[in-house]
Amino acid sequence: MKLSSLKDLQPNELAASLNVKGREVLLERLATLGLPSKKSEAYRYFDVESLLDTEYKLLSYMPKTIEVGEKIIIENGIVVSAPKGLRIYYEPCEMIDPEHFDPMYYLGHLLSGHTIKIEIDGDVELDLEHHLTQSDALINYRIVLYNQSNRHATLYENFVADDIQNTLLLYGYDMHIARDSTLNVVKLQTMKNENYDMIASHKINVAKQANALLKTFDLGGDKGLQLLKIDLDTHAHVEAGHLLYLNKESKRGMVSQIIHKGEYSTSKQEAKNILDGHARGIFDALIRVEETAKFTKAQQNSKAILLHEEAYMVAKPQLEIYIDELEASHGATTGQLDEKQLFYLQSRGISYLEARKMLVIAFANTLIETVKDARHQERIKAAFEEVFYATKHNA
Amino acid sequence: MTKSNNGSIMTIENLQAKIGDKNILKGLNLELEPGKVHAIMGPNGAGKSTLSKALVGHYDVEITGGDIIYKGKSIIDMDAEERALEGIFLSFQHPVEIPGVNNAYFLRTALNAKRKHEGKEELNAAEFLRLMKSHLEMLGMKSDMISRSLNEGFSGGEKKRNEILQMLILEPEVIILDEIDSGLDIDALRAVSEGINKMKDGKRSFLVITHYSRILDYIEPDYIHVLKDGRIIKTAGPELVAQLEEHGYDAIEEA
Repeated sequence: MKLSSLKDLQPNELAASLNVKGREVLLERLATLGLPSKKSEAYRYFDVESLLDTEYKLLSYMPKTIEVGEKIIIENGIVVSAPKGLRIYYEPCEMIDPEHFDPMYYLGHLLSGHTIKIEIDGDVELDLEHHLTQSDALINYRIVLYNQSNRHATLYENFVADDIQNTLLLYGYDMHIARDSTLNVVKLQTMKNENYDMIASHKINVAKQANALLKTFDLGGDKGLQLLKIDLDTHAHVEAGHLLYLNKESKRGMVSQIIHKGEYSTSKQEAKNILDGHARGIFDALIRVEETAKFTKAQQNSKAILLHEEAYMVAKPQLEIYIDELEASHGATTGQLDEKQLFYLQSRGISYLEARKMLVIAFANTLIETVKDARHQERIKAAFEEVFYATKHNA
Repeated sequence: MTKSNNGSIMTIENLQAKIGDKNILKGLNLELEPGKVHAIMGPNGAGKSTLSKALVGHYDVEITGGDIIYKGKSIIDMDAEERALEGIFLSFQHPVEIPGVNNAYFLRTALNAKRKHEGKEELNAAEFLRLMKSHLEMLGMKSDMISRSLNEGFSGGEKKRNEILQMLILEPEVIILDEIDSGLDIDALRAVSEGINKMKDGKRSFLVITHYSRILDYIEPDYIHVLKDGRIIKTAGPELVAQLEEHGYDAIEEA
């Protein structure tokens, strides 16, 4: 199937093409938004049309018996393993955002007859591994995640791909972070060139007095876009940190909308981008403060270091504010490594090349070290250094 | 090219240098003798910091004439890292903060680069920590400073102590101290001076660049050089300090 075959179709035509019954709201939204193209605001800097024009085979998603294991493993969209006692099952998604900005959010839901529902109980740490083994495939699934009130849970998300080629992973979460709870999500994804591409479209609802702590570490090559919409209720808080280290011809990044709906809601979003080779990084992030969200505090910042003259960063921090009673700031910088810092290291006998590496790793570490768990912090550092040292760096 | 240096460890010959379009050093001559403490004093804008930058190959400074001979070789075409590996050390007036670079990791990398350059075996983490801890104690530095990011959030005094810690570990042969006393309280000044005095071994040379004579109460200089308008206009013994204190730089006439 080529996803571009769905272009410009009416809801009834989409229903027929996707073999969907009911789900009129989703079909209507997809038809209204239209398939993404280079003219779409959210996809303007991402080469989405080449993905939509690629012929992919569709997979069947027949549930299997879930083995007991240390972590949740989702292989090609099917849960194959999960920790004992974890409530994980398949069911239709009940709460789909009717106002998501991303058409692929709706396409993902329409392509998924059922979703993988995970209910996190208590103060736990969970590892979730996405395992991809199919070449030339459209791997599509959606995860619905709930946690419990008054609990602090952490989800470590990781991606493992076999030696595959020409696959598109289209997945995403609908997360519901319960009142007075904290959900910490740490995502690590190293993509190799010509392995697979990804569009991940998420929706996160943060209930009253809840905290969403999101850290994404996106390393390596290929094409990958995360599209994230977060709704914040009264006194809800989101802290989002994104590290991007790209090389070669990679095009990856984050398109996000954080919507302050409740009073006293707070958000802090920080992106650190390191771009090498001919890579393009994307940070297209909107914070919207609605009329109902008085006394909001919102901060947004993007910093990018370009290590190659052909590397390119698209940084578009945006504020859309409908009230006066708030504190908000945003900013973006793009530049080279700090020459004062480079000189300081060189003045102690450290070579230019080594000093450069130290500063790049240091820049990344300021975000990596916000992951408090030492084991996972080391894992992310090792993944970063593996990709970084594998890239040829010119003096 | 090897040149004669008349027994000095470093000879600065008719050095001319500019920063941007501004000529700052205008024919500066100076010889640093092994084992001696040379103090450079001078008014604001005389070129003191430019001199220190020129000696370590700072990117701001363009050498337009003259030469710097170190251990018999011209160093003006050497990179900063080569000069450091050869034993030239600058304690910065304003050390930069580098978030994310662990202090201990940085110093071990620097030390091992130098040891490798000298054909010595590199120190492992445990050996290095032992070395570092002994110096920390002497400088009155908290042990957690070794695990913090380089200079990040350090007070002025902590930054200067950290510079001296680097000096003690790297054991350079020519040590340039640029306004080492600025921003230090008495306790920090005493600790920093103790570190510097510990490095005196009869072979190393010190170039102490300062506005004020306070530091010279703690590090006894052998020579005082007055730098004015890009040139050394007077060289004398430590007794010159009192004269400068009393009459100021304007009273000094070029010799």
